[in-house]
Amino acid sequence: MLEITDLHAHYGLSHVLQGVTLTGAAGEVVSLFGRNGVGKTTIIKTIAGWVRPTSGSIRLDGADIGGRPADRICRMGLGIVPEDRRIFPGLSVLENLELGLHQTAGRSRSEKREALDRVLERFPRLKERRAQMGTTLSGGEQQMLAMARVMVGAPRVLLIDEPTEGLAPMIVDEIFGIITTLRDQGLLILLVEQNVHRAIAVTSRFYAIERGQVVFTGSAANADDRERLFGTIAV
Amino acid sequence: MLIDRAPAPTLPRARDAVHAIAVLFFTAALALGALGWWAGDSFYLRLATEALIFAGLAMSVDILLGYTGLLSLGQALWFGVGAYTSAVILRDVAASFWLAMGATLVVTTLAGTVGGLIANRVKGVYFALITFGLAQVVAKVVYNTRELGASDGLIGVPEITIPLGFATVDAANPAGFFLLVLALVALLYAGLAYLMDAPFGRTLIAIRANEKRVPFLGFNPLVHRMLAYVLAANVAALAGALYPMLRGFVSPELLFFQTSGNAVITVIVGGVGTLIGPVVGSVLLTALRSVVGTWTEHHLIVIGVLFMLSVVVMPKGLVGAVRPWLQRRLSGSESPR
Repeated sequence: MLEITDLHAHYGLSHVLQGVTLTGAAGEVVSLFGRNGVGKTTIIKTIAGWVRPTSGSIRLDGADIGGRPADRICRMGLGIVPEDRRIFPGLSVLENLELGLHQTAGRSRSEKREALDRVLERFPRLKERRAQMGTTLSGGEQQMLAMARVMVGAPRVLLIDEPTEGLAPMIVDEIFGIITTLRDQGLLILLVEQNVHRAIAVTSRFYAIERGQVVFTGSAANADDRERLFGTIAV
Repeated sequence: MLIDRAPAPTLPRARDAVHAIAVLFFTAALALGALGWWAGDSFYLRLATEALIFAGLAMSVDILLGYTGLLSLGQALWFGVGAYTSAVILRDVAASFWLAMGATLVVTTLAGTVGGLIANRVKGVYFALITFGLAQVVAKVVYNTRELGASDGLIGVPEITIPLGFATVDAANPAGFFLLVLALVALLYAGLAYLMDAPFGRTLIAIRANEKRVPFLGFNPLVHRMLAYVLAANVAALAGALYPMLRGFVSPELLFFQTSGNAVITVIVGGVGTLIGPVVGSVLLTALRSVVGTWTEHHLIVIGVLFMLSVVVMPKGLVGAVRPWLQRRLSGSESPR
Protein backbone atom coordinates (compact mmCIF):
# COMPACT_ATOMS: atom_id res chain seq x y z
CA MET A 1 0.00 0.00 0.00
CA LEU A 2 2.75 2.42 1.02
CA GLU A 3 6.21 1.80 -0.41
CA ILE A 4 9.11 4.08 0.33
CA THR A 5 12.36 3.43 -1.45
CA ASP A 6 15.74 5.02 -0.77
CA LEU A 7 14.25 8.29 0.43
CA HIS A 8 16.57 11.26 0.92
CA ALA A 9 15.66 14.68 2.27
CA HIS A 10 17.56 17.80 3.30
CA TYR A 11 16.90 20.76 5.52
CA GLY A 12 19.10 23.28 3.79
CA LEU A 13 22.52 21.67 3.79
CA SER A 14 21.85 19.09 6.47
CA HIS A 15 21.16 15.66 5.07
CA VAL A 16 18.32 14.49 7.30
CA LEU A 17 17.01 11.39 5.58
CA GLN A 18 19.76 9.25 4.15
CA GLY A 19 18.11 6.51 2.17
CA VAL A 20 15.05 5.36 4.09
CA THR A 21 13.26 2.31 2.74
CA LEU A 22 10.07 1.09 4.34
CA THR A 23 6.75 -0.45 3.46
CA GLY A 24 3.33 -0.76 5.01
CA ALA A 25 0.21 -2.73 4.17
CA ALA A 26 -3.47 -2.23 4.97
CA GLY A 27 -4.40 -3.26 8.50
CA GLU A 28 -0.93 -2.73 9.91
CA VAL A 29 0.47 -0.39 12.51
CA VAL A 30 4.02 0.39 11.43
CA SER A 31 6.03 2.23 14.08
CA LEU A 32 9.13 4.32 13.68
CA PHE A 33 11.32 4.23 16.78
CA GLY A 34 14.49 6.12 17.54
CA ARG A 35 15.96 8.86 19.66
CA ASN A 36 15.14 12.52 19.27
CA GLY A 37 16.37 14.15 16.11
CA VAL A 38 17.03 11.02 14.05
CA GLY A 39 14.48 11.96 11.37
CA LYS A 40 11.27 10.18 12.39
CA THR A 41 9.14 13.28 12.10
CA THR A 42 10.90 14.22 8.88
CA ILE A 43 9.91 10.86 7.38
CA ILE A 44 6.28 11.62 8.23
CA LYS A 45 6.53 15.17 6.91
CA THR A 46 8.14 14.02 3.68
CA ILE A 47 5.45 11.43 3.04
CA ALA A 48 2.75 14.02 3.70
CA GLY A 49 4.32 16.49 1.26
CA TRP A 50 5.47 19.00 3.84
CA VAL A 51 9.15 18.39 3.12
CA ARG A 52 10.26 17.81 -0.47
CA PRO A 53 12.30 14.66 -0.95
CA THR A 54 15.64 15.18 -2.69
CA SER A 55 15.57 11.70 -4.16
CA GLY A 56 13.90 8.33 -3.76
CA SER A 57 10.29 7.37 -4.28
CA ILE A 58 7.14 7.34 -2.18
CA ARG A 59 4.36 5.20 -3.63
CA LEU A 60 0.79 5.14 -2.40
CA ASP A 61 -1.10 2.27 -4.01
CA GLY A 62 1.40 2.33 -6.84
CA ALA A 63 1.15 6.06 -7.56
CA ASP A 64 4.29 8.09 -6.97
CA ILE A 65 3.39 10.87 -4.55
CA GLY A 66 6.92 12.05 -3.76
CA GLY A 67 7.16 15.83 -4.07
CA ARG A 68 3.49 16.37 -4.82
CA PRO A 69 1.74 19.22 -3.00
CA ALA A 70 0.39 18.27 0.42
CA ASP A 71 -3.22 19.03 -0.44
CA ARG A 72 -3.12 16.65 -3.42
CA ILE A 73 -1.61 13.87 -1.33
CA CYS A 74 -4.27 14.42 1.29
CA ARG A 75 -7.02 14.22 -1.33
CA MET A 76 -5.60 10.84 -2.37
CA GLY A 77 -6.49 9.41 1.03
CA LEU A 78 -3.46 10.03 3.19
CA GLY A 79 -4.24 11.62 6.54
CA ILE A 80 -1.87 13.11 9.09
CA VAL A 81 -2.18 13.98 12.77
CA PRO A 82 0.82 16.24 13.31
CA GLU A 83 2.74 16.53 16.54
CA ASP A 84 1.27 19.87 17.54
CA ARG A 85 -2.42 19.30 17.29
CA ARG A 86 -3.26 22.56 15.54
CA ILE A 87 -6.88 23.05 16.38
CA PHE A 88 -7.98 26.12 14.46
CA PRO A 89 -8.84 29.02 16.73
CA GLY A 90 -11.97 30.91 15.76
CA LEU A 91 -13.79 27.72 14.80
CA SER A 92 -16.04 25.51 16.90
CA VAL A 93 -15.44 21.80 17.46
CA LEU A 94 -18.00 20.92 14.79
CA GLU A 95 -16.53 23.41 12.32
CA ASN A 96 -13.06 22.00 12.92
CA LEU A 97 -14.46 18.56 12.15
CA GLU A 98 -16.28 19.76 9.05
CA LEU A 99 -13.02 21.10 7.66
CA GLY A 100 -11.82 17.49 7.71
CA LEU A 101 -14.53 16.48 5.24
CA HIS A 102 -12.54 17.81 2.29
CA GLN A 103 -9.88 15.11 2.68
CA THR A 104 -10.00 12.12 0.35
CA ALA A 105 -11.51 13.13 -2.98
CA GLY A 106 -14.48 11.44 -4.59
CA ARG A 107 -16.79 11.03 -1.62
CA SER A 108 -20.45 11.84 -2.01
CA ARG A 109 -22.26 14.26 0.25
CA SER A 110 -24.04 11.44 2.08
CA GLU A 111 -20.81 9.52 2.57
CA LYS A 112 -19.29 12.59 4.13
CA ARG A 113 -22.27 13.10 6.41
CA GLU A 114 -22.14 9.49 7.50
CA ALA A 115 -18.42 9.81 8.22
CA LEU A 116 -19.09 12.87 10.35
CA ASP A 117 -21.95 11.24 12.22
CA ARG A 118 -19.91 8.08 12.84
CA VAL A 119 -17.04 10.08 14.26
CA LEU A 120 -19.35 12.09 16.50
CA GLU A 121 -20.85 8.84 17.82
CA ARG A 122 -17.34 7.52 18.41
CA PHE A 123 -16.37 10.64 20.40
CA PRO A 124 -19.29 11.50 22.67
CA ARG A 125 -17.24 14.18 24.43
CA LEU A 126 -16.77 16.03 21.18
CA LYS A 127 -20.40 15.63 20.24
CA GLU A 128 -21.40 17.10 23.56
CA ARG A 129 -19.06 20.05 23.04
CA ARG A 130 -19.52 20.53 19.33
CA ALA A 131 -20.66 24.15 19.63
CA GLN A 132 -17.72 25.08 21.83
CA MET A 133 -14.65 26.80 20.41
CA GLY A 134 -12.04 24.16 19.55
CA THR A 135 -9.26 25.89 21.44
CA THR A 136 -11.21 25.88 24.72
CA LEU A 137 -10.91 22.08 24.93
CA SER A 138 -8.36 20.47 27.22
CA GLY A 139 -5.12 19.14 25.77
CA GLY A 140 -6.45 15.59 25.66
CA GLU A 141 -9.72 16.65 24.09
CA GLN A 142 -7.82 18.65 21.49
CA GLN A 143 -5.83 15.55 20.61
CA MET A 144 -9.13 13.67 20.29
CA LEU A 145 -10.41 16.44 18.04
CA ALA A 146 -7.28 16.26 15.89
CA MET A 147 -7.73 12.48 15.58
CA ALA A 148 -11.45 12.85 14.93
CA ARG A 149 -10.86 15.52 12.30
CA VAL A 150 -8.57 13.27 10.32
CA MET A 151 -10.95 10.29 10.74
CA VAL A 152 -13.79 12.34 9.26
CA GLY A 153 -11.64 12.44 6.14
CA ALA A 154 -11.77 8.61 5.88
CA PRO A 155 -8.10 8.19 4.96
CA ARG A 156 -6.64 4.83 3.94
CA VAL A 157 -3.25 5.68 5.34
CA LEU A 158 -2.83 7.61 8.57
CA LEU A 159 0.39 9.18 9.77
CA ILE A 160 0.43 9.94 13.49
CA ASP A 161 3.25 11.89 15.10
CA GLU A 162 3.70 11.70 18.89
CA PRO A 163 0.01 11.45 19.75
CA THR A 164 0.38 10.99 23.49
CA GLU A 165 3.01 13.58 24.31
CA GLY A 166 2.08 15.40 27.50
CA LEU A 167 -1.30 13.73 27.92
CA ALA A 168 -2.89 12.06 30.96
CA PRO A 169 -2.67 8.23 31.18
CA MET A 170 -6.40 7.76 30.69
CA ILE A 171 -6.31 9.70 27.44
CA VAL A 172 -3.22 7.81 26.34
CA ASP A 173 -5.23 4.59 26.79
CA GLU A 174 -8.03 5.98 24.71
CA ILE A 175 -5.69 7.07 21.92
CA PHE A 176 -4.11 3.63 21.69
CA GLY A 177 -7.64 2.21 21.68
CA ILE A 178 -8.51 4.37 18.68
CA ILE A 179 -5.34 3.35 16.87
CA THR A 180 -6.22 -0.31 17.39
CA THR A 181 -9.76 0.23 16.11
CA LEU A 182 -8.55 2.02 13.01
CA ARG A 183 -6.01 -0.72 12.34
CA ASP A 184 -8.75 -3.34 12.63
CA GLN A 185 -10.84 -1.34 10.15
CA GLY A 186 -8.07 -1.91 7.62
CA LEU A 187 -6.15 1.37 7.74
CA LEU A 188 -2.41 1.47 7.46
CA ILE A 189 -1.09 3.50 10.38
CA LEU A 190 2.41 4.88 10.45
CA LEU A 191 3.15 5.81 14.05
CA VAL A 192 5.90 7.83 15.66
CA GLU A 193 5.75 7.51 19.43
CA GLN A 194 8.31 8.06 22.19
CA ASN A 195 6.45 5.81 24.58
CA VAL A 196 7.91 2.65 23.05
CA HIS A 197 6.52 0.25 25.63
CA ARG A 198 2.98 1.38 24.99
CA ALA A 199 3.38 1.71 21.24
CA ILE A 200 4.90 -1.73 20.78
CA ALA A 201 1.69 -3.28 22.10
CA VAL A 202 -0.33 -2.02 19.13
CA THR A 203 2.48 -2.24 16.58
CA SER A 204 2.67 -4.92 13.88
CA ARG A 205 6.11 -4.10 12.52
CA PHE A 206 8.64 -1.46 13.41
CA TYR A 207 11.66 0.31 12.00
CA ALA A 208 14.49 1.50 14.22
CA ILE A 209 15.86 4.78 12.89
CA GLU A 210 19.29 6.24 13.54
CA ARG A 211 20.85 9.27 11.86
CA GLY A 212 18.31 9.31 9.06
CA GLN A 213 18.61 5.64 8.23
CA VAL A 214 16.76 2.46 9.06
CA VAL A 215 19.16 0.43 11.19
CA PHE A 216 16.95 -2.58 11.52
CA THR A 217 13.40 -3.70 11.19
CA GLY A 218 11.47 -6.27 13.13
CA SER A 219 8.15 -7.68 14.14
CA ALA A 220 6.60 -6.54 17.40
CA ALA A 221 5.44 -10.08 18.10
CA ASN A 222 8.99 -11.41 18.01
CA ALA A 223 10.66 -11.24 21.45
CA ASP A 224 14.20 -11.18 20.01
CA ASP A 225 13.34 -8.25 17.75
CA ARG A 226 11.89 -6.43 20.72
CA GLU A 227 15.01 -7.04 22.82
CA ARG A 228 17.19 -5.77 20.05
CA LEU A 229 15.02 -2.67 19.62
CA PHE A 230 15.17 -1.81 23.31
CA GLY A 231 18.94 -2.31 23.21
CA THR A 232 19.33 -0.04 20.17
CA ILE A 233 17.30 2.88 21.36
CA ALA A 234 18.17 2.28 25.04
CA VAL A 235 14.83 2.53 26.75
CA MET B 1 -29.77 14.33 8.89
CA LEU B 2 -28.71 12.02 11.63
CA ILE B 3 -27.35 14.48 14.09
CA ASP B 4 -28.83 17.69 15.24
CA ARG B 5 -26.53 20.32 13.84
CA ALA B 6 -27.97 23.23 15.74
CA PRO B 7 -25.56 24.54 18.35
CA ALA B 8 -25.67 22.60 21.57
CA PRO B 9 -27.99 24.21 24.12
CA THR B 10 -25.31 26.30 25.75
CA LEU B 11 -24.97 29.79 24.38
CA PRO B 12 -25.76 31.68 21.23
CA ARG B 13 -22.60 31.84 19.20
CA ALA B 14 -20.50 34.95 18.84
CA ARG B 15 -21.72 35.23 15.26
CA ASP B 16 -25.35 35.37 16.34
CA ALA B 17 -24.51 38.42 18.43
CA VAL B 18 -22.82 39.97 15.40
CA HIS B 19 -25.89 39.33 13.25
CA ALA B 20 -28.03 40.95 15.93
CA ILE B 21 -25.83 44.04 15.75
CA ALA B 22 -26.24 44.05 11.97
CA VAL B 23 -30.02 43.87 12.21
CA LEU B 24 -30.00 46.70 14.75
CA PHE B 25 -27.72 48.78 12.57
CA PHE B 26 -29.70 48.40 9.36
CA THR B 27 -33.00 49.00 11.14
CA ALA B 28 -31.63 52.18 12.74
CA ALA B 29 -30.24 53.31 9.38
CA LEU B 30 -33.61 52.75 7.76
CA ALA B 31 -35.37 54.72 10.50
CA LEU B 32 -32.90 57.61 10.28
CA GLY B 33 -33.20 57.55 6.49
CA ALA B 34 -36.97 57.84 6.78
CA LEU B 35 -36.52 60.71 9.22
CA GLY B 36 -34.18 62.45 6.78
CA TRP B 37 -36.66 61.97 3.95
CA TRP B 38 -39.49 63.32 6.10
CA ALA B 39 -37.40 66.35 7.09
CA GLY B 40 -36.44 66.93 3.46
CA ASP B 41 -32.74 66.72 4.35
CA SER B 42 -30.12 66.33 1.69
CA PHE B 43 -26.74 67.01 3.36
CA TYR B 44 -26.92 64.29 6.01
CA LEU B 45 -28.46 61.75 3.66
CA ARG B 46 -25.67 62.24 1.14
CA LEU B 47 -23.06 62.10 3.89
CA ALA B 48 -24.60 58.87 5.17
CA THR B 49 -24.64 57.48 1.62
CA GLU B 50 -20.94 58.23 1.31
CA ALA B 51 -20.29 56.54 4.67
CA LEU B 52 -22.10 53.43 3.42
CA ILE B 53 -20.12 53.43 0.17
CA PHE B 54 -16.86 53.52 2.12
CA ALA B 55 -18.31 50.82 4.37
CA GLY B 56 -18.23 48.56 1.31
CA LEU B 57 -14.51 49.25 0.92
CA ALA B 58 -13.96 48.56 4.62
CA MET B 59 -15.84 45.25 4.37
CA SER B 60 -13.53 44.21 1.57
CA VAL B 61 -10.52 44.95 3.79
CA ASP B 62 -12.16 42.83 6.51
CA ILE B 63 -12.52 39.82 4.20
CA LEU B 64 -8.75 39.87 3.77
CA LEU B 65 -7.67 41.03 7.23
CA GLY B 66 -10.33 39.55 9.49
CA TYR B 67 -10.90 36.23 7.74
CA THR B 68 -7.86 35.42 5.62
CA GLY B 69 -5.24 37.15 7.77
CA LEU B 70 -3.93 39.34 4.93
CA LEU B 71 -3.37 43.05 5.52
CA SER B 72 -4.03 44.97 2.32
CA LEU B 73 -2.64 48.49 2.32
CA GLY B 74 -3.84 49.07 -1.21
CA GLN B 75 -7.51 48.19 -1.23
CA ALA B 76 -8.26 51.67 -2.59
CA LEU B 77 -6.92 50.32 -5.87
CA TRP B 78 -10.06 48.24 -6.34
CA PHE B 79 -12.35 50.94 -5.04
CA GLY B 80 -10.78 53.20 -7.67
CA VAL B 81 -11.04 50.62 -10.43
CA GLY B 82 -14.77 50.36 -9.67
CA ALA B 83 -15.21 54.14 -9.48
CA TYR B 84 -13.38 54.80 -12.75
CA THR B 85 -15.01 51.91 -14.63
CA SER B 86 -18.43 53.08 -13.52
CA ALA B 87 -17.66 56.74 -14.35
CA VAL B 88 -16.36 55.90 -17.82
CA ILE B 89 -19.34 53.67 -18.61
CA LEU B 90 -21.90 56.19 -17.33
CA ARG B 91 -20.27 59.13 -19.08
CA ASP B 92 -19.12 57.64 -22.37
CA VAL B 93 -21.12 54.46 -23.00
CA ALA B 94 -24.58 54.56 -21.50
CA ALA B 95 -26.11 56.03 -18.37
CA SER B 96 -27.11 52.60 -17.15
CA PHE B 97 -26.68 51.53 -13.53
CA TRP B 98 -26.74 47.83 -14.34
CA LEU B 99 -24.25 48.16 -17.18
CA ALA B 100 -21.88 50.11 -14.91
CA MET B 101 -22.12 47.51 -12.14
CA GLY B 102 -21.75 44.60 -14.57
CA ALA B 103 -18.73 46.15 -16.28
CA THR B 104 -17.18 46.81 -12.88
CA LEU B 105 -17.52 43.13 -11.94
CA VAL B 106 -15.98 41.96 -15.21
CA VAL B 107 -13.07 44.42 -15.16
CA THR B 108 -12.35 43.81 -11.47
CA THR B 109 -12.46 40.04 -11.77
CA LEU B 110 -9.95 40.12 -14.61
CA ALA B 111 -7.67 42.76 -13.11
CA GLY B 112 -8.12 41.32 -9.62
CA THR B 113 -6.93 37.92 -10.82
CA VAL B 114 -3.76 39.49 -12.19
CA GLY B 115 -3.27 41.59 -9.03
CA GLY B 116 -3.98 38.58 -6.84
CA LEU B 117 -1.41 36.46 -8.65
CA ILE B 118 1.18 39.15 -7.97
CA ALA B 119 0.23 39.91 -4.36
CA ASN B 120 -0.35 36.31 -3.27
CA ARG B 121 3.16 35.26 -4.16
CA VAL B 122 4.08 36.55 -0.73
CA LYS B 123 2.57 36.71 2.75
CA GLY B 124 2.57 38.84 5.85
CA VAL B 125 4.29 42.18 5.72
CA TYR B 126 5.37 41.58 2.12
CA PHE B 127 1.76 41.15 1.06
CA ALA B 128 0.99 44.50 2.69
CA LEU B 129 3.88 46.13 0.84
CA ILE B 130 2.96 44.64 -2.53
CA THR B 131 -0.68 45.67 -2.25
CA PHE B 132 0.51 49.13 -1.24
CA GLY B 133 2.88 49.26 -4.22
CA LEU B 134 0.27 48.04 -6.72
CA ALA B 135 -2.15 50.73 -5.63
CA GLN B 136 0.51 53.44 -5.79
CA VAL B 137 1.56 52.40 -9.29
CA VAL B 138 -1.99 52.41 -10.63
CA ALA B 139 -2.78 55.66 -8.82
CA LYS B 140 0.21 57.33 -10.47
CA VAL B 141 -0.75 55.95 -13.88
CA VAL B 142 -4.29 57.26 -13.52
CA TYR B 143 -2.93 60.58 -12.21
CA ASN B 144 -0.93 60.98 -15.40
CA THR B 145 -3.40 59.63 -17.95
CA ARG B 146 -5.13 62.43 -19.76
CA GLU B 147 -7.88 60.13 -21.09
CA LEU B 148 -8.89 59.48 -17.47
CA GLY B 149 -8.81 63.15 -16.59
CA ALA B 150 -5.33 62.97 -15.05
CA SER B 151 -5.02 64.91 -11.79
CA ASP B 152 -8.43 66.57 -12.25
CA GLY B 153 -10.26 63.28 -12.32
CA LEU B 154 -13.30 62.49 -14.43
CA ILE B 155 -16.01 65.09 -14.17
CA GLY B 156 -19.41 65.32 -15.70
CA VAL B 157 -20.76 61.90 -14.80
CA PRO B 158 -24.47 62.21 -15.62
CA GLU B 159 -27.18 61.80 -13.02
CA ILE B 160 -28.85 58.49 -13.64
CA THR B 161 -32.15 56.84 -12.95
CA ILE B 162 -31.96 53.28 -11.77
CA PRO B 163 -34.71 50.88 -12.82
CA LEU B 164 -35.25 48.22 -10.16
CA GLY B 165 -38.18 46.45 -11.73
CA PHE B 166 -40.68 47.38 -9.03
CA ALA B 167 -39.56 51.00 -8.77
CA THR B 168 -37.21 53.54 -10.26
CA VAL B 169 -34.66 55.34 -8.15
CA ASP B 170 -33.25 58.70 -9.10
CA ALA B 171 -29.58 58.88 -8.06
CA ALA B 172 -29.99 62.64 -7.60
CA ASN B 173 -32.70 62.05 -5.00
CA PRO B 174 -30.85 61.90 -1.65
CA ALA B 175 -33.36 59.68 0.15
CA GLY B 176 -33.88 57.36 -2.80
CA PHE B 177 -30.19 56.84 -3.48
CA PHE B 178 -29.47 56.45 0.24
CA LEU B 179 -32.05 53.67 0.41
CA LEU B 180 -30.59 51.96 -2.65
CA VAL B 181 -27.05 52.08 -1.28
CA LEU B 182 -28.28 50.94 2.14
CA ALA B 183 -30.02 47.99 0.51
CA LEU B 184 -26.91 47.12 -1.51
CA VAL B 185 -24.63 47.28 1.55
CA ALA B 186 -27.12 45.18 3.53
CA LEU B 187 -27.18 42.64 0.68
CA LEU B 188 -23.40 42.62 0.49
CA TYR B 189 -23.20 42.13 4.25
CA ALA B 190 -25.74 39.30 4.21
CA GLY B 191 -24.08 37.59 1.27
CA LEU B 192 -20.61 37.87 2.73
CA ALA B 193 -21.74 36.82 6.21
CA TYR B 194 -23.34 33.75 4.67
CA LEU B 195 -20.24 32.96 2.64
CA MET B 196 -17.93 33.42 5.62
CA ASP B 197 -20.06 31.03 7.68
CA ALA B 198 -20.03 28.47 4.85
CA PRO B 199 -17.17 25.99 4.34
CA PHE B 200 -15.36 28.55 2.16
CA GLY B 201 -15.23 31.10 4.98
CA ARG B 202 -14.14 28.49 7.50
CA THR B 203 -11.29 27.52 5.26
CA LEU B 204 -10.24 31.17 5.18
CA ILE B 205 -10.41 31.29 8.98
CA ALA B 206 -8.28 28.17 9.10
CA ILE B 207 -5.78 29.79 6.73
CA ARG B 208 -5.64 32.86 8.94
CA ALA B 209 -5.02 30.67 11.97
CA ASN B 210 -2.43 28.42 10.41
CA GLU B 211 -1.83 28.31 6.72
CA LYS B 212 0.71 25.48 6.90
CA ARG B 213 -1.81 23.14 8.46
CA VAL B 214 -4.50 23.64 5.82
CA PRO B 215 -2.99 21.50 3.02
CA PHE B 216 -3.19 18.48 5.34
CA LEU B 217 -6.95 18.79 5.21
CA GLY B 218 -6.85 18.68 1.43
CA PHE B 219 -7.17 22.40 0.78
CA ASN B 220 -4.89 24.41 -1.46
CA PRO B 221 -4.29 27.61 0.51
CA LEU B 222 -3.14 29.57 -2.53
CA VAL B 223 -6.40 28.90 -4.37
CA HIS B 224 -8.38 30.08 -1.36
CA ARG B 225 -6.25 33.17 -0.88
CA MET B 226 -6.75 34.00 -4.56
CA LEU B 227 -10.52 33.55 -4.28
CA ALA B 228 -10.60 35.73 -1.17
CA TYR B 229 -8.51 38.38 -2.91
CA VAL B 230 -10.69 38.52 -6.04
CA LEU B 231 -13.84 38.49 -3.91
CA ALA B 232 -12.56 41.38 -1.79
CA ALA B 233 -11.51 43.30 -4.91
CA ASN B 234 -15.03 42.95 -6.32
CA VAL B 235 -16.66 44.08 -3.08
CA ALA B 236 -14.43 47.16 -3.00
CA ALA B 237 -15.06 47.84 -6.69
CA LEU B 238 -18.84 47.54 -6.39
CA ALA B 239 -18.73 50.09 -3.58
CA GLY B 240 -16.45 52.28 -5.69
CA ALA B 241 -18.83 52.03 -8.66
CA LEU B 242 -21.50 53.77 -6.58
CA TYR B 243 -19.25 56.73 -5.83
CA PRO B 244 -19.55 58.62 -9.14
CA MET B 245 -23.33 58.09 -9.05
CA LEU B 246 -23.38 60.00 -5.75
CA ARG B 247 -20.79 62.69 -6.43
CA GLY B 248 -20.89 63.04 -10.20
CA PHE B 249 -17.10 62.82 -10.49
CA VAL B 250 -14.14 60.63 -9.57
CA SER B 251 -10.64 61.77 -8.73
CA PRO B 252 -7.31 59.95 -8.49
CA GLU B 253 -7.28 60.63 -4.72
CA LEU B 254 -9.72 57.75 -4.43
CA LEU B 255 -6.81 55.41 -5.21
CA PHE B 256 -4.32 57.04 -2.89
CA PHE B 257 -2.98 55.54 0.31
CA GLN B 258 -5.18 57.86 2.36
CA THR B 259 -8.21 55.93 1.12
CA SER B 260 -6.63 52.52 1.76
CA GLY B 261 -5.34 53.57 5.18
CA ASN B 262 -8.71 54.99 6.20
CA ALA B 263 -10.35 51.69 5.27
CA VAL B 264 -7.93 49.75 7.48
CA ILE B 265 -8.51 52.17 10.38
CA THR B 266 -12.26 51.82 9.85
CA VAL B 267 -12.04 48.05 10.11
CA ILE B 268 -9.91 48.17 13.25
CA VAL B 269 -12.13 50.73 14.98
CA GLY B 270 -15.30 48.86 13.99
CA GLY B 271 -14.10 45.34 14.79
CA VAL B 272 -11.88 43.06 12.71
CA GLY B 273 -13.44 39.84 11.45
CA THR B 274 -17.04 40.85 12.07
CA LEU B 275 -18.05 42.37 8.67
CA ILE B 276 -20.62 44.59 10.37
CA GLY B 277 -17.86 46.26 12.39
CA PRO B 278 -16.42 47.94 9.29
CA VAL B 279 -19.89 49.22 8.36
CA VAL B 280 -20.50 50.65 11.83
CA GLY B 281 -16.95 52.01 11.90
CA SER B 282 -17.36 53.73 8.55
CA VAL B 283 -20.52 55.50 9.62
CA LEU B 284 -18.95 56.48 12.93
CA LEU B 285 -15.72 57.80 11.43
CA THR B 286 -17.49 59.67 8.64
CA ALA B 287 -19.76 61.32 11.18
CA LEU B 288 -16.81 62.13 13.41
CA ARG B 289 -14.82 63.60 10.54
CA SER B 290 -17.76 65.74 9.57
CA VAL B 291 -18.53 66.93 13.09
CA VAL B 292 -14.94 67.54 14.16
CA GLY B 293 -14.28 69.11 10.77
CA THR B 294 -16.81 71.85 11.52
CA TRP B 295 -15.00 72.72 14.79
CA THR B 296 -11.43 72.72 13.62
CA GLU B 297 -9.35 72.47 10.50
CA HIS B 298 -7.02 70.07 12.27
CA HIS B 299 -9.63 67.33 12.54
CA LEU B 300 -7.10 64.66 11.58
CA ILE B 301 -5.25 65.24 14.87
CA VAL B 302 -8.42 64.70 16.87
CA ILE B 303 -9.32 61.61 14.87
CA GLY B 304 -5.78 60.24 15.20
CA VAL B 305 -5.93 60.56 18.99
CA LEU B 306 -9.38 58.98 19.08
CA PHE B 307 -8.11 56.13 16.93
CA MET B 308 -5.22 55.44 19.31
CA LEU B 309 -7.54 55.59 22.30
CA SER B 310 -10.02 53.21 20.71
CA VAL B 311 -7.28 50.69 19.91
CA VAL B 312 -6.06 50.80 23.51
CA VAL B 313 -9.50 50.67 25.13
CA MET B 314 -11.21 48.37 22.61
CA PRO B 315 -8.56 46.27 20.89
CA LYS B 316 -11.27 44.18 19.28
CA GLY B 317 -13.06 47.22 17.95
CA LEU B 318 -16.48 48.54 18.73
CA VAL B 319 -18.36 45.42 17.68
CA GLY B 320 -15.80 43.20 19.38
CA ALA B 321 -16.32 45.13 22.61
CA VAL B 322 -20.12 45.01 22.52
CA ARG B 323 -20.34 41.38 21.37
CA PRO B 324 -19.73 39.55 24.69
CA TRP B 325 -22.24 41.77 26.45
CA LEU B 326 -24.83 41.17 23.73
CA GLN B 327 -24.10 37.45 23.80
CA ARG B 328 -24.91 37.44 27.53
CA ARG B 329 -28.10 39.39 26.92
CA LEU B 330 -29.17 36.98 24.18
CA SER B 331 -28.54 33.98 26.39
CA GLY B 332 -30.05 35.27 29.64
CA SER B 333 -27.45 35.16 32.36
CA GLU B 334 -24.59 32.80 31.57
CA SER B 335 -21.13 34.16 30.83
CA PRO B 336 -19.86 33.99 27.26
CA ARG B 337 -17.47 31.37 26.08
